[in-house]
Amino acid sequence: MSATSAEPLISARNIVLSYGAVRALDGVSLEVPRGAILAIVGPNGCGKSTLLRVLAKLADGAGRSGEVAIAGEVAGDPSSLTKLRAFVPQRPEVSADFTAREVVRLGRHAVGANEAAVARALDAVGLAARADLPFHTLSGGERQRVSIARALAQLDNTDTRAGSAGVLLLDEPFSGIDPAEVVRIVQALRARATHGAVVLSLHEPGLARAIATHALVMRAGKAIASGPAATTLTAEILTAAYGHPMVESSAWLVPSLSAGGSIRS
Amino acid sequence: MTQRGFIVLVFVIALAAALRVAIGPAAAADGSVHLALGVANGEILALRTNAALSAGLLGCVLGLSGLALQVLLRNPLASPFVLGISSGAGFGVALVLSLAYTLSLPAMAFGGEVAGAVAGALATLAIVAWLGRAREGSDPTTLVLAGVIVGAIFSAGTMLLEQLVPHGLRGDLLSWMAGRLPEIPSRAAFWTLACAAAGGWITLTACAGALDVACLSDDEARSSGVDVRRLRAMLFVVGGTLAAVAVAYAGPIGFVGLVGPHIARRLVGPRHAALVPASALAGAALLVGADAARQAIDLGTGRLPVGVVTALAGGPAFLWLLRNRARSGA
Repeated sequence: MSATSAEPLISARNIVLSYGAVRALDGVSLEVPRGAILAIVGPNGCGKSTLLRVLAKLADGAGRSGEVAIAGEVAGDPSSLTKLRAFVPQRPEVSADFTAREVVRLGRHAVGANEAAVARALDAVGLAARADLPFHTLSGGERQRVSIARALAQLDNTDTRAGSAGVLLLDEPFSGIDPAEVVRIVQALRARATHGAVVLSLHEPGLARAIATHALVMRAGKAIASGPAATTLTAEILTAAYGHPMVESSAWLVPSLSAGGSIRS
Repeated sequence: MTQRGFIVLVFVIALAAALRVAIGPAAAADGSVHLALGVANGEILALRTNAALSAGLLGCVLGLSGLALQVLLRNPLASPFVLGISSGAGFGVALVLSLAYTLSLPAMAFGGEVAGAVAGALATLAIVAWLGRAREGSDPTTLVLAGVIVGAIFSAGTMLLEQLVPHGLRGDLLSWMAGRLPEIPSRAAFWTLACAAAGGWITLTACAGALDVACLSDDEARSSGVDVRRLRAMLFVVGGTLAAVAVAYAGPIGFVGLVGPHIARRLVGPRHAALVPASALAGAALLVGADAARQAIDLGTGRLPVGVVTALAGGPAFLWLLRNRARSGA
């Protein structure tokens, strides 16, 4: 698994996944280079979330074919897989009365307790000061950041020679999140991408263009375009994806992703 | 906070056990019987101590079973009853008892009842899991609904059986169905219960860390390195078998499996390394306490099933917990 920097962190070939007669994914291939933030974009129900779960090796069972390699590993031995990728769902769920810090600690379950890694992760998402509040008392955006911190703590191998080069996969991390919170999450993701890579599904193509380095545009279970974000997220390609004319516009008000905006809440 | 919680639990168990042993009937000069507190001697003391011990073990089994099912369903309101396991196990026991009576088989050792209960419980689990299956794993809500319906069907089946057996056995079945601690349990029954309590305690403690992670969504738990499917299979078997043994031992006793883990959570917090033993101890405290209360009410005649006391006390306590939860937004 000695991955060189040229080798993609994730490479998926010809992924097909069917639920009965329905083909959720129909021959999707993609590569996630090291350092990339790759956005999966497309209309509702086009297979974004399903693809993300396949890439995270969370979707298995019947009706699936194709191959996903993470850092060159295809087999997906569970213990090494845990160090290579972490998944953040659209709605993080915690059914017990844990504090934010306790939830982040859960990320270390299979990779070894490490309070320093937990503290680093909480710091990276700007929640160090609120870490001992019950998860249930946090806002939607904060919960999302706790889940991201849990994933960051899981991928934190900075104490070992392996470094921390895993992939963070997020399903629609910005749905129902206010703009200032979006910026905080984006900052955490950008920091993450410098070590490994980030893959996320997005239903907002404008946001994808603002934060992603690479993109994959989907329609009905197929990838209709992929590559660098600038050449992939064009009005033409997105028009084809959504089946509705998309135009360039400066009429939308968007949060500044560069200026000020301390990550501390 | 954790340590103080355990001290409270042990103290309450000790108090409840002392009451259970001390409470007894005393005859007045006019022949009426009233309640008396005191140290009984000899055989009576041994009898009451055994009763307290077996109530404690049964409480442990119920508490552990409830906790396993609550983690399994990711729903703190789950219990052996919600999944219909108790009803299924009860039907199994009733079937074995009626067959033994009808075919005039020799008096069955506890093995027959356990076999009936486990078969009934696992059959219920299989049916409920099959009904509740979803595209990915199982859906907790569907699972609970399926459990309630399947449980109702099995309860009706038990009542039907009761009508089909002769009068002699009908009374036994009826009182057993209300949840009754056996006065003098057979050695086999007692040791089966003790092994179930120990086995459940050890198994659940051994995977306490994974149980913590299982409180996340399935995808998050799997991403964190927990084999959720295997963990759930284990929880199904452990939760189901413990519930079955409890039913075979004393009939369906409600609310202990539901309220026990809740009390434990309030006392020692949500981490399972502490929650597993605390749920067992809370279950024991509840059931020993309930049995002491029963003893005080029926004055040792054994006429009142302890299940009536647990339902009367546990039901409102659970509603209170529910209301508090809703208010705290937890």
